[in-house]
Amino acid sequence: MSVLDLPSNREEAWRWADLGGIAAAAALAPVARSEAQFLDLPGAKLLFVDGELDQGASELHRVSVGAIAPGDHPLGRRAARGWTLRLDARAVADPVQIVHVATGAENHLGAAIELGDDSVAQVIEGFVGAGWSNRSTSVRLGRGARLSRAVRLTQAAGFVSLRDEIVLGEAASFVGTVLAAGDQGARVDAALTLAGEGGYAEFGGALLTRDRLKQECAVRVRHAEPNGQSHQLWRAVAAGQSQASLAAAVEVARHAQKTDGEQSLRGLLLDRTATVNLKPELEIFADDVKCAHGATVGELDARALFYMQSRGIPAARARALLTHAFVADALDRIADETVRAAFAADAAAWLERAL
Amino acid sequence: MTMLTIDNLHAEIDGKPILKGLTLQVNAGEIHAIMGPNGAGKSTLGYVLGGRPGYEVTEGSVTFDGEDLLDKEPHERAAAGVFLGFQYPVEIPGVSNVQFLRESLNAQRAVRGEKPLSGAEFLKVARAQADALGLQQDMLKRPVNVGFSGGEKKRNEMVQMGIIDPKFAILDETDSGLDIDALRVVGDGINRIMRRPDKAVLLITHYQRLLDYVRPDRVHVLADGRITRSGGAELAHQLEREGYAEVAA
Ligand SMILES: Nc1ncnc2c1ncn2[C@@H]1O[C@H](COP(=O)(O)OP(=O)(O)O)[C@@H](O)[C@H]1O
Ligand SMILES: [Mg+2]
Repeated sequence: MSVLDLPSNREEAWRWADLGGIAAAAALAPVARSEAQFLDLPGAKLLFVDGELDQGASELHRVSVGAIAPGDHPLGRRAARGWTLRLDARAVADPVQIVHVATGAENHLGAAIELGDDSVAQVIEGFVGAGWSNRSTSVRLGRGARLSRAVRLTQAAGFVSLRDEIVLGEAASFVGTVLAAGDQGARVDAALTLAGEGGYAEFGGALLTRDRLKQECAVRVRHAEPNGQSHQLWRAVAAGQSQASLAAAVEVARHAQKTDGEQSLRGLLLDRTATVNLKPELEIFADDVKCAHGATVGELDARALFYMQSRGIPAARARALLTHAFVADALDRIADETVRAAFAADAAAWLERAL
Repeated sequence: MTMLTIDNLHAEIDGKPILKGLTLQVNAGEIHAIMGPNGAGKSTLGYVLGGRPGYEVTEGSVTFDGEDLLDKEPHERAAAGVFLGFQYPVEIPGVSNVQFLRESLNAQRAVRGEKPLSGAEFLKVARAQADALGLQQDMLKRPVNVGFSGGEKKRNEMVQMGIIDPKFAILDETDSGLDIDALRVVGDGINRIMRRPDKAVLLITHYQRLLDYVRPDRVHVLADGRITRSGGAELAHQLEREGYAEVAA
């Protein structure tokens, strides 16, 4: 499969995808291997360099690495190998940390997370280096299973594409957070299905873009059964001539009564030359549902900036504080304090560079 | 000793002249009241001294402690010792009062070459000021001014002034929206923080009543962008009795 064999922007689901950015990332010359940093947490630590496991630097615990079913997503199907986390009923796993290092060109990797009934897992992933890193993750949550997953993109260049296919069983819970705070393009492409009654899904995060980068998220949450809850809270911050796009859809099947679906999409333009696209979408076929959505794009509050400066805070720092406050509620959804602090620090580092 | 000298100050907003040749001198150790009708340019004067973008000085000069104030960025004016108490304090969702004030104080200290205060040191100072001004401690942790009543916002301005401990304060209608008890607390606060031989205050107010608590050394009438009259504390009483139209003309 060649890099040129990519979808087209004419397809609605790929309208804001930076296909040129993917091709350019795949053509990046080799760069030195950047250092992998794991958080100070117990549990599995996997280091993948260009999609290959570095055995010596990894501790697998319950995770295995091998062949994986490729699926049929136009980008996701490129991954034929990957890692698997499979938990039996009622198992509680230590966190699984994965660092993906890219050293140029393209790399593809799949993942399968299968949680038995009432089991609990936490996955933390990070992307560093340069190149096109393409990932395809399939998640299956049994009855009452709980997964939290936090992904941060801090590559120095290139592109990260994520395809997540997540199916929640009855009363299962998934909390996913993505932070794009690097100098790479990004596409976060996800399909969540609440396939059992009473499922709970949160999927959100923040895209921080600058220069001429393009980052987007395209998420579709499908409520197939009654009494489900979903929250999509996304923040996009665009500086320079960059473009950040948020497309979030909620689909409620005829049968899925008492669904509570919330979408909050907000964009912040740090420069007038930047672009934020927002596309909230509701497709509701049931009649007894509660779905709220909000979508707004704005600039930093000039009055607040002057107020802060009048107290002695320099302009750049005032802008950073206000911007950080803007993305904070998306990152505050991360329950683990160590992980949350690391993500907040990445966002702060981005603001230092961008402002 | 002269602290602030405003000489023939002209300023405009969106090309519209608001200040039209304002001249004023404030010495260390003095409290000056500025009174005047609505729309006279009182808040504009405060914003121009603070350096708010969009308020363009077209003529005249402002010297503070012997230096050109108008040449400095807003945060540099703060570090030089100028504090602006806002008529309408701004709400900042997502930034706590504590974080805001600690950042403010430490940014000013950095410019002056002083060591930053630690979180614990800062909290001690902040708690003492909140207590003195009757602002509930938990409001320090809340986002800046978000959900505060009008009176709480004004107390919060004074708490900020107490923490920052400026050399010179411009207080823009700090008394509006306060009931009589709050007025006394705020008045006491201004006296406690600012009534010192090495400090000075420009007290912008609409009413005489704050001046019962904070006795001004000088009172000026600002009308149509200029100081039209100056006098002692008794001028404020005369204004209250006779109205601006009579006295300022
Ligand atoms: N942002 C602004 N744009 C245009 N005109 C303004 C603006 N702010 C104030 N003004 C005008 O400037 C004049 C002085 O306003 P202000 O300084 O607020 O008066 P005061 O505080 O004495 O009531 C008024 O005529 C007001 O309409
Ligand atoms: Mg005013």
